[in-house]
Amino acid sequence: MSVTGSRRLLMVVASIAFSLAAGSVQAQTRAETLRYVTGASVNTLDPNIPGSTREAFAVSLSTYDRLVSFGRKQLNGKWVFDLGKITGELAESYDVSPDGLKMTFRLRKDAKFQDGTPVTAEDVKWSLDRVVTAPVLGKAQLLTGSMTSADQFKVIDPLTIEVTLPKPDKLALPNLATVYPIIINSKVAKAHATADDPWALAWLKENTAGSGAYRIETFKPGEQVIMARNTAWNRGTADKSAFFKRVIVQSVPEPATRANLVERGDADLVIDLQASDVQSLEAKGKLKVTSTPQYNAVTFVSMNNQIPPFDNANVRRAVAFALPYEDMFKAALFGRGSPLFGATWADGKPSSGAYPIPQPVKLDLEKAREYLKAAGMPDGFSTTFSFNVGQASTAEPMAALVKESLAKIGIKVDIQKLPDAQMSTQINEKKLPFFTEGIVAWLPSTDYFYRNFYTGNQRWNYSSINNPELVEIAQKARFEPDAAKYEEDGIKLNAIHFSEIPQIPLWQPSQDAVMASSVEGYTYQFHRQVDYRDLNRK
Amino acid sequence: MIRAGRRFLSSLPALFGVLVFTFLLMRVLPGDPAVFFASGPNAGKEEIEVIRKQMGLNKPVPEQLMLYLYDVGSGNLGRSMMTGQLVTKDLRERLPASLELTLTALLIALLSAVPLGVLAALRPGSIIDHGVRFFCALGVCVPTFVSGLLLIYVFYYLLGLAPDPTGRVDIFASLPPRQTGFLLIDFLLAGDFDGWWAAFRQLILPALSMALFVVAPLARITRASMLVSLGSDFVRTAHSLGLPWWQVVVTYALRNAILPVITIAGIVFSTMLGANVLVEKVFSWPGVASYALDALLSSDYAPVQGFVLLMATVFVIVNLLVDILYGVADPRVTIG
Repeated sequence: MSVTGSRRLLMVVASIAFSLAAGSVQAQTRAETLRYVTGASVNTLDPNIPGSTREAFAVSLSTYDRLVSFGRKQLNGKWVFDLGKITGELAESYDVSPDGLKMTFRLRKDAKFQDGTPVTAEDVKWSLDRVVTAPVLGKAQLLTGSMTSADQFKVIDPLTIEVTLPKPDKLALPNLATVYPIIINSKVAKAHATADDPWALAWLKENTAGSGAYRIETFKPGEQVIMARNTAWNRGTADKSAFFKRVIVQSVPEPATRANLVERGDADLVIDLQASDVQSLEAKGKLKVTSTPQYNAVTFVSMNNQIPPFDNANVRRAVAFALPYEDMFKAALFGRGSPLFGATWADGKPSSGAYPIPQPVKLDLEKAREYLKAAGMPDGFSTTFSFNVGQASTAEPMAALVKESLAKIGIKVDIQKLPDAQMSTQINEKKLPFFTEGIVAWLPSTDYFYRNFYTGNQRWNYSSINNPELVEIAQKARFEPDAAKYEEDGIKLNAIHFSEIPQIPLWQPSQDAVMASSVEGYTYQFHRQVDYRDLNRK
Repeated sequence: MIRAGRRFLSSLPALFGVLVFTFLLMRVLPGDPAVFFASGPNAGKEEIEVIRKQMGLNKPVPEQLMLYLYDVGSGNLGRSMMTGQLVTKDLRERLPASLELTLTALLIALLSAVPLGVLAALRPGSIIDHGVRFFCALGVCVPTFVSGLLLIYVFYYLLGLAPDPTGRVDIFASLPPRQTGFLLIDFLLAGDFDGWWAAFRQLILPALSMALFVVAPLARITRASMLVSLGSDFVRTAHSLGLPWWQVVVTYALRNAILPVITIAGIVFSTMLGANVLVEKVFSWPGVASYALDALLSSDYAPVQGFVLLMATVFVIVNLLVDILYGVADPRVTIG
């Protein structure tokens, strides 16, 4: 063997070794990157912009901080957000005055915006003023916590801010932990404000000026967002910066492709797979599947209480006893969720004052026929059942079963599949007689649900119920300080709900988070998205 | 050239008609975008009004139309609620993606359809002819999203040969500086051959599944017009003069048979560009068709109008190109 031959061999070996080393460097950065795929997309960097998507909310949670945030707790072995535990995020500590009219927040001394300037009470005031003054989504949210005017926010000193309330409101503090009241770097934002746009809405839509755990690296609306870790951030649960160096949020519209990606290990986490895919991935056992019933969400079959024949309570009862609940639950969700039917209430009284609770309804065609007879329609009637295209994968099998079962008691149902925008318009105009929809509350409490979804002539009152007694109890319960009395009010509300049956709660679908087995820390959040700051890789 | 210019000018009224028609159609369709986009957990009447104002929907329709025409005239197609961006910006970013995919698919389709059609025409009724017919039938029968999902399943999921089917380039790779928007060209300009190869690998599966679907019409047309051309007098004369067979087939028969193929290719191209929503969805391809579909579902007016206008323009340009190609293929056309 000649010298040149062995030298060549050495070069080959060296180059192989080099490429292997390069490979391991790449693998390491891959391990420090979280790739999250979703069927939806991020459309703005400011969650307050009307029209923001839920994916946009999730991104803003990582790019901005709020004054406070929710803790987390274990529910049946799974981590979920804890409304009862509010911890400081930008606030180091907070006090609520004994009369409940004043909340004082002391800011962290070490908190800095991503441009290095300190977070001051002035920034907090500007940001909160913006939420209650500018035409943004947060306005309606903070209204539910009795915060409506900029006068309520007062700077005490550079690190202290005080919020005054017109009356003690249980939801005031939790509201500051929701998605909208982000704390913005007011100096930067003001520099980009214009006379037409004093709150820099246009600029903040495409740029961020926050103090959050991640900064935006690339933002391609509708395609992907890439975020890099802000190493100076220390507001996490363990008082250190977030785990992942990079987070990639990528839109992959086809659910089958998302399932393939996570199964092959190319994506780390996905929360919007089809139930059938989740089931098969869970059966294969390679990936971690965390299914949490969305306990702040409910799926309904709704009936318009103002349109005949559904204005007759006996017709609504007939429908409630003619739905094939078990079959619907299996066909639509593959049983992934917690059912809200088939309960037995002792003495016919609601089992608790919480909302929602399982209802004492089940498929009983005899009973349904009796109710129909009592309504004066023994031969049934014809109606339409609507659902939107976006929910077709669950609603379509469900609608077929509803149609089949109601036909047995003489109710002839035409199934109507509507484009999403058309469905929301018709709901808003109260034109649909019979349909399925879902609701969600960020701050789930019984009075909140009843006030928002069973009150007034407004869009979210899907059943258009108009029951003065229900409204009165719900309004009173909002400011009820005594827990036992609150529970009593809740039971009363639930009893009215069952006797009137304005709409039929079906179930709480599960949030199925499918992730690589190395990903840990996933927590079900009130906004039903992933908080990337929770996650790490072992 | 003058003729081409005149053709272009004469298509302007059609473009204007398309513009007005789409505008009115979108407003006649049921579905209020403001209600749809105001769907936060607390969005009420006030939020709906804010969005309506933002989209200019609070004004009477004729006024909206005048404002829209003025905006289009000054090059502004409005803002998409869905992406929050200007429609012109969205389309500018997404059109090259769609064009790159469609052109590659068309190229693959032509490269396979024309030889297949010629082969079938040379031996009509033979086993080759039947084979081509079978292949074409198969291509048309299988919808593009089925072939797309199948290709992904085999080449990505089972064999691991193809990269993950998520868009135009590997998410971890860096993009070349944007020059044309066509990644294959931009990577070449930047001299990044690894990048070029990566982009090419991403492109090949969606392009194949699109091509499969359009091979059939192209091959059938080639076969039919080759049959006519092979049976004509000039081919018999060429044969009798003892010219080599390939010269007879390619230079004389094919050149005369190519006109209808060009026409069909033009139509196929325009259709593919706008109608391949399914391929774009399956491969997460950031193209214009899936953009328009999403906009339509959420009644987002500006992007849908912008998309239809774009498609109409592309159609006009493609027709123009086809006209010019006619002249290349058959010099008599320009004279006539």
